[in-house]
Amino acid sequence: MSVQSLRGQLLRQLLPPVAALLALATVIAYYPTIEPATAAYDQALIDVGLALGDRIQINGGKYSLDLPDAAERVLRTDRYDAIYFHVAAPDGGHIAGDQGLPPPPPDKTPQDHIIAYDGIYAGKDLRIVAVLVPCDGKRCLVQVAETTNKRERLLRYIVLSSLVPTVLIALATLLIVWFGVKRGLEPLDLLSEEIKRRSPRDLRPVQAAAAPEETKPLVNALNALLEEVAQANQNQQRFLANAAHQLRTPLAGLQAHTELALAQPVPEGCRAELEQVHLATVRTARLANQLLALARAEPGGGFAAGLGATDLRQLVQGAADEWVHRAMERDLDLGFDLAEARVRGDAFLLREALANLVHNSLEHTPPGGHVTVHTTVRAEDRRPILEVEDDGPGIPPAERERVLERFYRIPGTTGTGSGLGLAIVREIAGLHGAEVEIGTPRAGGRGCRVSLIFPPAPQP
Amino acid sequence: MRIMIVEDDAALARGVARILESEGYAVDVVARGEQAILAAEQERFDLVMLDVGLPGMDGFEVLRRLRAQAERVPVLLLTARDEIDDRVHGLDLGADDYVAKPFAMSELAARVRALIRRSQAQAGPKVVHGPLLLDTVARRAFLNGEPLELAGREWAVLEVLLAKVERVVSKEVIIQAVANWGEELSLNAIEVYVSRLRAKLEPAGIRIRTVRGFGYMLEEHKAV
Repeated sequence: MSVQSLRGQLLRQLLPPVAALLALATVIAYYPTIEPATAAYDQALIDVGLALGDRIQINGGKYSLDLPDAAERVLRTDRYDAIYFHVAAPDGGHIAGDQGLPPPPPDKTPQDHIIAYDGIYAGKDLRIVAVLVPCDGKRCLVQVAETTNKRERLLRYIVLSSLVPTVLIALATLLIVWFGVKRGLEPLDLLSEEIKRRSPRDLRPVQAAAAPEETKPLVNALNALLEEVAQANQNQQRFLANAAHQLRTPLAGLQAHTELALAQPVPEGCRAELEQVHLATVRTARLANQLLALARAEPGGGFAAGLGATDLRQLVQGAADEWVHRAMERDLDLGFDLAEARVRGDAFLLREALANLVHNSLEHTPPGGHVTVHTTVRAEDRRPILEVEDDGPGIPPAERERVLERFYRIPGTTGTGSGLGLAIVREIAGLHGAEVEIGTPRAGGRGCRVSLIFPPAPQP
Repeated sequence: MRIMIVEDDAALARGVARILESEGYAVDVVARGEQAILAAEQERFDLVMLDVGLPGMDGFEVLRRLRAQAERVPVLLLTARDEIDDRVHGLDLGADDYVAKPFAMSELAARVRALIRRSQAQAGPKVVHGPLLLDTVARRAFLNGEPLELAGREWAVLEVLLAKVERVVSKEVIIQAVANWGEELSLNAIEVYVSRLRAKLEPAGIRIRTVRGFGYMLEEHKAV
């Protein structure tokens, strides 16, 4: 299908009929006007012819025309046209005037002895009137002719005077169509604007209320499609969430049995293998949790931002147990610096983001190090902040963007992670309108600080 | 000591059962909520370990029905992390504690021990934590069989920590439990009591760990 503008297409289709109508209107206006005008000009010539006929004199069989020079000058004077005449005797002999004017066409029978016809004389188009006048019982032929300047002027005048209004009307019609289409298409423009403005996550139906009747099928079809996409999306998210969720019980079983096995006396070679199995199990379980979080954070994943107000401090306090034991195992000092910081958001996802941040710090900080979780509301702009700092190796500035990508791991590092942790943090932060900032500890020194800076919470 | 495990995943249930059995508990395993209710009506358990995501009647419903029964058996919820909603978190439903799946066996076993100890303490007047014995009726404490002098506030702080062995207890929670009506207690005061407790208990191998900026955790006593 070639891409065509609706407007262009409409205009292209309208133009030929409008032009044809224009021509027709001109023709229709032309004939009723030109006939009487031509007749009037002809009549003037006839009058001259009759007047000349009266001046024919016969003296003893000899014909002459009594036309003084002054009178002939008057006769021949015309503003626009050259006037010719010729008077001939009944036998065709020359009496007076310009010889050689075209004779009346033989097929025309003179009505009332008057014929009007067109001819050429001295290379000029002429309108000629032939009048048969009685002279001495016979009929003399008087021809009067004039060039057609006047008539052409009249013609031009008539055509112009009928054409101009018609052309104006046609132009007006086309303009009305042009702007009419533009106005008519305005709702479509609004529709496309609305769709353009949308975030790709927004799969809600388009508002059809304001759309004109004719665009409703389009809006409805679009909405049906959006719904299908949302549905498919939701199914996919649900599948991923279910899969991840279902994985955890067997993983818990696997973990239980490897721990059981490790608790018993096993041959030394076996023990190393078992420990590997155990480690892999723990890692897989963690990955399942991360996938679940990702599924929840994606469109259609049931994210419910704006529904609940959550205090970041309580969130941290509720989850602290989990990490304290892990920190103890790794001989790390896990500390907290918590102030009330309320945000709007999804508690599960926020807990997950927090878990990933703390896990990273606990994983990458060498034994004896410090990990601190902060929650606070920044004084200058009232933005709630969730922050995890450690004094581990830190993240080089060049890597700070990339570590937020999925499955990215800093080359040369030996962590056991999947590379999903910070990607999940970014995803969840994005959902909450929060920024992720990676830097070094505020107090200085080496280490890593990841801050989630939330938008200011609405006043309760 | 008798424990019922309500878990539909056979492998997990068997694994947990074997660990608990190795610690000397008698363990019954059921796979469905309805069976759990029946069993609880007929037998007496010291602890019920309850999976939230059971097929059919889910764990929350089982818990509700258990709570409707006359005897109050301690319940430890097993839950996937995304099921930890505010109900689980606040333990509003009457559960005593929860563990997120998957879990380390050592952590699970520690929670079980703590819960059973706690319910015994509520049932009887004596609380035992390694070499420490608290007679809550006579308000007397013994360490390695020797009488231990504890000031009133020290006693109160120790009771709070003993109720939540292996769990971090925030200073705010301790203040609430320790302060009298209309009395203002500073965070520093709590630190003083804890350091006095440490001085008295640490020689016997009982450790109170500081969680910086948050609170304290009474570590499980490991026999040496």
